Amino acid sequence: MLSESKTSTTTAKKPRVLVAMSGGVDSAVAAALLVEQGYDVIGVTMQVWDYSSNSCDIQEGNGTCCSSIDVDDARAVADKLNIPFYVINCEAKFQAYVIDDFISSYLEGRTPIPCVNCNTYLKFDHLIQKMQELECDYLATGHYAQVTTSPTGRPAIQTSKDDGKDQTYFLFTLNPKIIPQLLFPIGNMEKSQVRKIAESKGLDVAKKKDSTGLCFIGKEGHAQFISKHVAPELLNPGEVKLYPSGEVLGTHQGIHQFTYGQRKGMGIAHNEPLYVVKLDPRNHVVWLGEEKHLFAQKLVLKNPNWLDEMISGEPLRIKIRYHHRGAQAILKPVGDRWHVYFDEPQRAITPGQAAVVYRSSQLLGGGWIESLEKK
Amino acid sequence: MPTSEDKNEKILGLLSSEPQPYLSPNKRVYLDHNATTPPDSSVRENILAWLEQWGNPSSIHWQGRGPKSLMRDSRKKIAQGINCNPLELVFTSGGSEANNLALKGVYLHHQEQSPCLRNHYLFSAVEHPSVKKTLEQLAQRGAQVESIPVNRQGQIDLDFYAKKLTEKTALVSIMYANNETGHIFPIAKMAKMAHKVGALFHCDGVQALGKALVDVRNWQVDLASFSGHKFYALKGCGMLYVRQGLNIPSLISGGGQERYRRAGTENVLAIASLGEVFNKLKDLPGAIARMEELRRHLESQMLQSIPDIEITGKAANSKLGDENILPRLPNTTSAIIRGVDGETLLMNLDISGFSVSTGAACSSGNPEPSPVLLAMGLTRQEAQNSLRVSLGWSTTREQIDHFVEVLTNVVQRLRACSNMLRQNESE
Repeated sequence: MLSESKTSTTTAKKPRVLVAMSGGVDSAVAAALLVEQGYDVIGVTMQVWDYSSNSCDIQEGNGTCCSSIDVDDARAVADKLNIPFYVINCEAKFQAYVIDDFISSYLEGRTPIPCVNCNTYLKFDHLIQKMQELECDYLATGHYAQVTTSPTGRPAIQTSKDDGKDQTYFLFTLNPKIIPQLLFPIGNMEKSQVRKIAESKGLDVAKKKDSTGLCFIGKEGHAQFISKHVAPELLNPGEVKLYPSGEVLGTHQGIHQFTYGQRKGMGIAHNEPLYVVKLDPRNHVVWLGEEKHLFAQKLVLKNPNWLDEMISGEPLRIKIRYHHRGAQAILKPVGDRWHVYFDEPQRAITPGQAAVVYRSSQLLGGGWIESLEKK
Repeated sequence: MPTSEDKNEKILGLLSSEPQPYLSPNKRVYLDHNATTPPDSSVRENILAWLEQWGNPSSIHWQGRGPKSLMRDSRKKIAQGINCNPLELVFTSGGSEANNLALKGVYLHHQEQSPCLRNHYLFSAVEHPSVKKTLEQLAQRGAQVESIPVNRQGQIDLDFYAKKLTEKTALVSIMYANNETGHIFPIAKMAKMAHKVGALFHCDGVQALGKALVDVRNWQVDLASFSGHKFYALKGCGMLYVRQGLNIPSLISGGGQERYRRAGTENVLAIASLGEVFNKLKDLPGAIARMEELRRHLESQMLQSIPDIEITGKAANSKLGDENILPRLPNTTSAIIRGVDGETLLMNLDISGFSVSTGAACSSGNPEPSPVLLAMGLTRQEAQNSLRVSLGWSTTREQIDHFVEVLTNVVQRLRACSNMLRQNESE
C-alpha cells in the first residue's frame, strides 16, 4: 500500500477488470483478490435464465448459478467490496446457444455439455464485448484454470493447481487471441484456500455449497426438462434392442432420456448387467449391451479449436468427459475432422461430449466427439 | 512457466489503494432526479430534532404531543402548498400506495353501491406501473379498463378520450407528467371532461412536486397522489389528496389514524421532512426557471455534439403552449441515441461518475425496453437506445457541460465498438 503523498504522484491509470460474478464463492474470491491487487474492478452477473417462468424454486436455486438468489449474492459481495455491479441480461442468447443446442443434442442421441457453449458464446464472447465497451483491460472469471506462456512463447492456458477442480475442459473453445486479456485469479489455488480467503474477507458466500449439475435443470432431471420444452411429436418412442444380436428387449419413450454408459432406469430384466452402448436417433433405437461393448479405442472429432500447434504423431493426453482423468492418444487430421487413436480402449466414449487435448498441463484445444469406432 | 500471478505482481507495485474517483460520493454528478432526490439541506439540519419526537402521535400523554404537532404543522404547510384543506390529505407510505388507495378505493366505493352503476376506468397508456398494474388487477375482478393512446410527441389523444367517456365511467386516472419523458398532460381540461359525465378524476402528481406549481383546486381533480422522496424529503412518505365530500374506504385496516382512511402508526420523521420542504415553495419559480434554462442548454449541447440523436417529443413544445402549462417538465430529457445500447451507455456513465437512467428506476434490471416509450410508438430499437436525464434544484451548468463532454466521448467510443464488432462478424 502506498502512502497518501505518493498516491497523488502516481500517474499510472489502474488497469480495469470486468469480473464475471456468478454469486458463488469462486468468483467472489476472484473479485476480492483483484480489488486487493489494486485493479479497478467492475462486477457483472449474466442473467441467463428466467426463474419466474421456469421451475427453479428457492430451495433448488441455492447453490446453482441460475437463481435470482445468486444474483443477490453476487451483488452483496460487490457491495462489500465497494465495486460497481451490473446485471447483464443474456436470456435470449442463452436460450439460442445453450438451451436450444442442449435439447436438440439429446433429441439427436448426443449427450451435450452446455457449460462449454455458455463459456463460448456468453462468458468469452458477450462479456469480451462488454469488456471492450466498458474500457476494461481484462476479463476475469472464477474458473479453476491458469493463464501462462507456452514454451513456444504463446499465451496459453494451463490446468489449475487444484486437480479435482480444474475447469480447463470447459475452455477448449477459447479464441487464442483473447488469452492475454484473461485473468483467472483463483486458478493457482486449492478450493479449500479459496474458501478460507472468502471467510477471512467476511464474504457471506464463504460457506455456500458448490454448484453441482446444470444450472437450469432442477430436481426434475434433464429428461423431464426436455419433454417440458419441446413439442410432444418430437419425442419419438422406439425399441430397445440387445447389442449386437438385435433382439428386441422392450420399448422406450424417447432417446432423449438416455446417455452412453447408462445402466439404471432401463426397466429391463436380463441375466447380465446391461448398459446403453449406442443410440440410433434415425431409427429411434436404444442399444443395450454388456460392459465390454462400451469400450472403444478410436473417436472422430469435429469442429476443433486449437490454442497451440501440435507435432504430428505426438502422444498427447485426451479427456473425453469432464471427470475423465485423461488418456494417452495420438491425433491425425482427416479432412476437417480429427481422428483420435487411444493407447488403451476407453469406456463410454460419448457423442456430444468434448475431447479435450493436453500436452502435460497445457490446454491445446479440442473438439466435439462425433462418433466412435469399437474394436 | 510464468503464471498469471507474475502479471499481477508487476501491476501491484504501481497501484495506489485510493478508490476510483467515481466511487466517491462528492465527485459524482447526479442527473436522475425523477428516480429520487437528495434530501434538502433543511431536512438534514432538522432531522435530529425531529428524531427527538419519537413518541406515538396517537398517544394521549406528553410523548404523543410533540410528534402530533409535527404532523399537524406538516399537514398544514402541505395543504397550503398544494391549495387544499389539511383534512383532505391522507398520508401514505409513498406514491405507489397513494395511487393504489385512489384506484382501489374508488373501485370499492362503487362496488359497495347496489346496483353498481359505474365500472369503467380510463387511464393513459404511459401511466406508472402502480396505476397500470392496479387497474389490471381491477380488470381481473370485473372492472372495464381502457387506456388512452399517447403519441410519439407525448400528446394524449383527447378525441379518443372524449369518445370513451360515458355515464358508466367511474374514474379517469392521468399522470400530471410522465416520469420518463417529462410530457405534461392537460389535467384541468381532462378533469372537466370527466366531471361532465359524472366520473371522478385522479391525477398521479408524483412527478409534479418540485418541478411545477401544484394547485389541486386549479387542476379540478378529485384525487391526487404525491411522493415525498421525489420532492427532496425522506423516503417512506407520500400522500393522497381526497377532495372533501368524497369517501373512499381504507385499504389498510386497523387503528383510526388519518381519520380512518389509512391505519398504521405514522412515519412522523418522513412526514415532518415533507412539510419542511414545502417551506421552499417560494424559491420554486426560480428553481424551475433555472432547471429549464439548464435543460435547454443540455439539449442544445447534446444535439450539437452527438450525431444521430433525437430528443423524444421535443417537437411537442408549441402544440400545448396555449394550455397555459409547460408542455414538458423543466428538468427531464429523454433522448434516443441511435446505435448505442442504453444499458451499456448507463454503465459507462456510471463508472465515469454520472448517474442517469434508461427509464424508470423501478424497472431497472429488466431487459425489456421501456413500456412507456413503446406505448408512445418508439420502436424496440429506439427504446433500447434511449437515455433519460433528469435535473434537480442543485444541478449546475458546469455539471451539464461536463456531462455532455463525457457523454459525447462514450457515445463515440461505443459506436466505434459496435462498428468493429460488425466488421469482425462480416469477415
